[in-house]
Amino acid sequence: MMETFLIYLLIPALKIGVVVLVLSGAIAYLTLLERKVIAHIQVRLGPMRVGWHGLLQPIADGIKFLAKEDIVPAKADALLFTLGPIISLIPAFLVFSVVPFGPPDMLQGVLSKALGFLLPPEGVEQVVTNSIASGGFVTDLNIGLLFLLSVSSVGILGVILGGWASNSKYPMLGALRSSAQMVSYEVALGFSIIGVLLIARSLSLVEIVEQQQASGIWYFALQPVAAVLFFICGLAETNRLPFDLPEAETELVGGFHTEYSGFRFSLYFMAEYANMISVAALMTTLFFGGWLQPFPNVPWLWFLGFIPSFMWFSIKVFLILYVFIWIRGTLPRFRFDQLMRYGWKIFLPVALANVIVTACLVWLFTLRG
Amino acid sequence: MQFIKRFLFLDILKGLWLTFRYTFTPVYTEQYPTERPKLAARYKGAPRLNNDPETGETLCIACDLCAQICPEDLIVVGVQRDPESRKKVLTTYTFDTSRCLFCGLCQEVCPTNAVELTQDFELATYDRSTMLWDRSRLEKGWKRIEYGESRNFR
Repeated sequence: MMETFLIYLLIPALKIGVVVLVLSGAIAYLTLLERKVIAHIQVRLGPMRVGWHGLLQPIADGIKFLAKEDIVPAKADALLFTLGPIISLIPAFLVFSVVPFGPPDMLQGVLSKALGFLLPPEGVEQVVTNSIASGGFVTDLNIGLLFLLSVSSVGILGVILGGWASNSKYPMLGALRSSAQMVSYEVALGFSIIGVLLIARSLSLVEIVEQQQASGIWYFALQPVAAVLFFICGLAETNRLPFDLPEAETELVGGFHTEYSGFRFSLYFMAEYANMISVAALMTTLFFGGWLQPFPNVPWLWFLGFIPSFMWFSIKVFLILYVFIWIRGTLPRFRFDQLMRYGWKIFLPVALANVIVTACLVWLFTLRG
Repeated sequence: MQFIKRFLFLDILKGLWLTFRYTFTPVYTEQYPTERPKLAARYKGAPRLNNDPETGETLCIACDLCAQICPEDLIVVGVQRDPESRKKVLTTYTFDTSRCLFCGLCQEVCPTNAVELTQDFELATYDRSTMLWDRSRLEKGWKRIEYGESRNFR
């Protein structure tokens, strides 16, 4: 009884709490990282005043957002206006329920120490061997990737609702742009994942990483085209430059969140950065070996094992996020027709070709061995 | 060739390399209140009326040249003739910094180097009336707010 309670309720709840807290912190400091990196690209310093080198800036920003007046425009649809940011934030966080931060036995050591005085040895054994309790992830769905794709698509609804409910021209245009953009880039994104699925033969994110360990090589090496495509479409999905047309400060003031201020705006903001982190996490999992160290099966690299698995995961996510910001500091925004042309006429055919080539190669290799 | 270049994002990679290099170049930002800007040697800032360092008397001989050459007519020199020595003596001296264009003609023309434009550039005030500097302020200079040690501006 106690074991069941621990496995299925208490430990997952704790893990969810930790994930939400860490994610919120990561979002806050991602904004600071972005401002700092962009500043140094532009040979500026960025935030320097709040705390040492601006380290407390995100906290100051958070307090500012909370203290601001909550404005609902007079002609806005009040209910949908409120729902918009919430609908876009919840899926952004929900994505992390299936992303593995570590192997299925990550918490075994910690749990067996912590539960030693609470349970009899066989009870500890039961908790520790169950991956729901001891895994470095909230849950391991066998259709994790499908779940993730469908949930992240719901987030677009929040953007569209917010833009429509504002009852103002710029948010409306931003929302229309974002729906067109996200729909067209989601197709290529989905196709770029299929190559990985064909090789890994699983939709579970944990199993995809385990397959990468089994084959001893990150899927980036086997699927370079898919990885690049996934990265580009990820940029488009998260409204990052050079695909930030739904926001386009210079044309649409702020796109779908023009009418939002204070805490509601910060919800959209958090959703956007959470999406950035989730795309980076997904890219890490699918193409860069998730929690694995580089070259997981090479024996003379044993010293890399001293860095714990979740740290490897965070390092890779951090590097991908750095590239996101780096690209923002480098490239200008696309024109809308260019965006559509790249999406439908280049990325989609390339993704399809990649799927076909991968399928043929997988078929050939399985025929042989 | 063009196709390969575009397909492999060579131009974008080139741009990324450029921004990457710029990330590590030294920053141009000057942390102004804590870090004093490096002014040119001949920078012309706040005016000052110099005293003779030995006697403490003013160097100004009340010749009125500065007031006459000033393109904005913002210097007013008050003169009184000393009845015994028959010399002109300076009584008041006003300098309107709100109209000054810092051309430096007054310090060029001054025969005794009494008027000088100093390196001090922080002339902002809360009140327009304080921009009219009288003789005592011109001689003593005016108290600047020092930010260097303040915790708020660290």
